[in-house]
Amino acid sequence: MKALTANRLTDGEVVFWKDGRWIERFADAQLWASDDPAALEAEGRGKAQPLVVVDAYLIDLVEAEGFWAPVSYRERIRALGPTNHLHHGKQAEGGAAIEALQHASGAARSTGRVNLIKRK
Amino acid sequence: MYQYDTLDKEMLADRSAEFRGQVARRLSGELSEDQFKPLRLMNGLYLQLHAYMLRVAIPYGSLNPAQLRKLAWIGRTYDKGYGHFTTRTNLQFHWIKLADTPDILDHLASVDMHAIQTSGNCIRNTTTDPYAGATAEEVDDPRVWAEAIRQWSTFHPEFSFLPRKFKIAITAAPKDRTAARVHDIGLVLKRARDGALGFEVIVGGGMGRTPYVGPTIKEFLPVNRLLSYLEAILRVYNRHGRRDNIYKARIKILVAALGKDEFARQVEAEWAKIDQDAGEGGADLPDTELARIRGAFATATFETLPAVSEAFEAAKASTPAFARFVRNNVKPHKKPGYGIVEISLKGIGDTPGDATSEQMEAVADLAERYGQDDIRVTHEQNLVLPHVRLDDIPAVWAALAEAGIATANINLVSDIIACPGLDYCALANARAIPIAQHIAEKFRDQDRAEKVGELKIKISGCINACGHHHVGHIGILGVDKKGEEFYQLTLGGSGAEDASLGSILGPALPYDRVAGAVDTLVDVYLRERRDGERFLDTFRRTGVAPFKEAVYADAH
Repeated sequence: MKALTANRLTDGEVVFWKDGRWIERFADAQLWASDDPAALEAEGRGKAQPLVVVDAYLIDLVEAEGFWAPVSYRERIRALGPTNHLHHGKQAEGGAAIEALQHASGAARSTGRVNLIKRK
Repeated sequence: MYQYDTLDKEMLADRSAEFRGQVARRLSGELSEDQFKPLRLMNGLYLQLHAYMLRVAIPYGSLNPAQLRKLAWIGRTYDKGYGHFTTRTNLQFHWIKLADTPDILDHLASVDMHAIQTSGNCIRNTTTDPYAGATAEEVDDPRVWAEAIRQWSTFHPEFSFLPRKFKIAITAAPKDRTAARVHDIGLVLKRARDGALGFEVIVGGGMGRTPYVGPTIKEFLPVNRLLSYLEAILRVYNRHGRRDNIYKARIKILVAALGKDEFARQVEAEWAKIDQDAGEGGADLPDTELARIRGAFATATFETLPAVSEAFEAAKASTPAFARFVRNNVKPHKKPGYGIVEISLKGIGDTPGDATSEQMEAVADLAERYGQDDIRVTHEQNLVLPHVRLDDIPAVWAALAEAGIATANINLVSDIIACPGLDYCALANARAIPIAQHIAEKFRDQDRAEKVGELKIKISGCINACGHHHVGHIGILGVDKKGEEFYQLTLGGSGAEDASLGSILGPALPYDRVAGAVDTLVDVYLRERRDGERFLDTFRRTGVAPFKEAVYADAH
C-alpha cells in the first residue's frame, strides 16, 4: 500500500493526502494499492500545489496490528513526532492508531527519503 | 562581547525586512520553493521532519542575560518552550512556523542577534574557549580575535559562495576546549619567548565523511597579521576547492590533495600578493581597532578576595551533593576567590543540549545576579558562568538545582554530545538522542560515573558528524543497515589538544545493544586501567583488542 505525504508550506506540519486535500492525521490518509495508478495521479496533483505544501512524495506502507503504517522508520517518526518528546508532535493525541504506529517495524528507507536527500 | 553600532542595527533591520518580503512573496506564489529555499537558508531557516528549524547564531558562544531571556521568550512564544544548543555553540528552535519567522528575526535583532551565516557555503560562527577571559591557562583573551573574525567574515562578499561551508575555532590555552584541530581552520594562540603573541595555524581538519586531523601550515603567525593570512587561505580554497563534488568540497580535501607544504606555499604566495596590493595601509586591522575590540571584552571587574572562601568550603563539607558539583562542574578561575561554573545540559534522561525557556531564564538571572552578565555556550552543548565568586557558588548551585540543571557530570560518561538525529533532522539515518539517554541511564549512579572519570561519548545520526563521533573517546555513528537503525562504534578519538580520530571497534550494533556495549567498554577500561589513566589513555596503551573481545564475545 502507499500514501502521499508532504510538509505544509506555512508551518512545516507533516500532512497526508485525502481525496484532493491535505490532512494532518496519518490514520485518516488515503491509501492506494502499490500498483494503483491513482497514487501517482494524486502525487502529481499534490506536487501541483506549491502554495500549500513542500516536497510531496509517496511512501510505502506495511500492516501492523491491524493498521497500516509507513515502512520506513523515518516516516513513522514524521507521522508520530520525535521519540525523545512523546508529548510533541502528532503522537500527543494518543489512541490505538498512534500506538500501532509506535509498535510498527519495517525497513528504514523509502524512495521518498532518497528523493529528499537529493533535494537537500 | 560584540557591540553593535547604529549601522549594524540598521543592517539587521533591513535584513529582517527583506526576509519578511521574501516570505510574503513565497506565500503568495511569486517565489517558487526552489527560488525561496536558498533565501530562507541564508537566514538560518531549514525545513526538517516535523516543522521548520531556525538556527540562531551565538557569536563565539557568548550571550548576555537579555539575549538569553529573549531566546527563552522566543522558545515559549513561537516554539514548544525550549531551545537546543548545538556543537557550533548556536541555538536551534525545532518547531518554527514559516509565517512567524520574520517576527522572530525582528525580536532577535532587538537584542543584537540574527540567524545569518548559520547555513550555506560561507564562514560560519567562529567558536572559542568557553572559559575565555576566566581561565589562567590562556595566553590572551581569544574572544578579541574571534570578534575580529566575526566582523571580517560577516557579509564578506568574496567568501559568501565558497565551495562548501567553513568553520574556524580559536583557542588560547594549551588545553583545547574548541576541537581546533578538526576545524577547517584551527588557531592556537601562543606566546613566544620574547613575549610576542602569535597563532599556530592549522588548516584542513574536519569530520564528516572524510575525517582529518588538520596539519599545521604555519607555526607562528604574528597576531596582527591574522586577517590577511585568513584571507590568503580562503582565496586559495576559493580558487581550487572542488565545486563539482559536494563530498570533496571541504578545504580538508584540497589540503590533503595538494599536501600541506604545497598548500602552505600557495597561501604564502597569495599572502604576499595581498600585502603588495594593500600598499602602505596594510591589509590587516589597524591597532586602534584591535584596541577598541579588546576594550569591549575588558568589562569584567574583580574584587580582591582571599583564595579560600569559608562559605564555599563550609557548603562543600556539609552538603555532599554540592561537593560533587564542585568536583565536576566548577573549574579554577584566574582570580583568587572566583570560580568558573559549568552548567550541564545533560541531565540523566534529558535531551543533550536542550534547555527549557524556564531554565534559560534561570541561567540569565544567575548571570545577572552572580555572574557579571556573562554566559557562554560550549561546543559540548553545555553552558558556562565564567565569573562567579566562590562565596556565591552555593547559591548558584541551589538555584540550578531548583531549575533542574545542577547535574554534576561535566566531562563524565553521561556528558554526551548528540546531534538531533532522526528524531528531527532530514539528513539523519538513525536516532542519536535516545542512544544518549540510554547510555546516561546506565550511569545514573554518580559514584560509578565519577569512578570512571573523564570519558567523552559523542553521537552522530549520520556521516555528516554533527555529533563529532570521530573525536569521541567512544564515538557512535548511526547507520542504515538493511533498513534498520544500526550503530558503528569507534574508540580512541579526541577533539582536544591530543587530537586523534577513533578506530572502528567492529561490526555495527543494533539500536538496543548500544548502551550495553558502552557499559561493557567501561568495564574493560576499569579492569585494564593503570593509575591516573583516563579511558582514552588506557585505550591508547592497550589498543582495541580487549575492548573488541568483550563487546563481541557473544559472537564467538
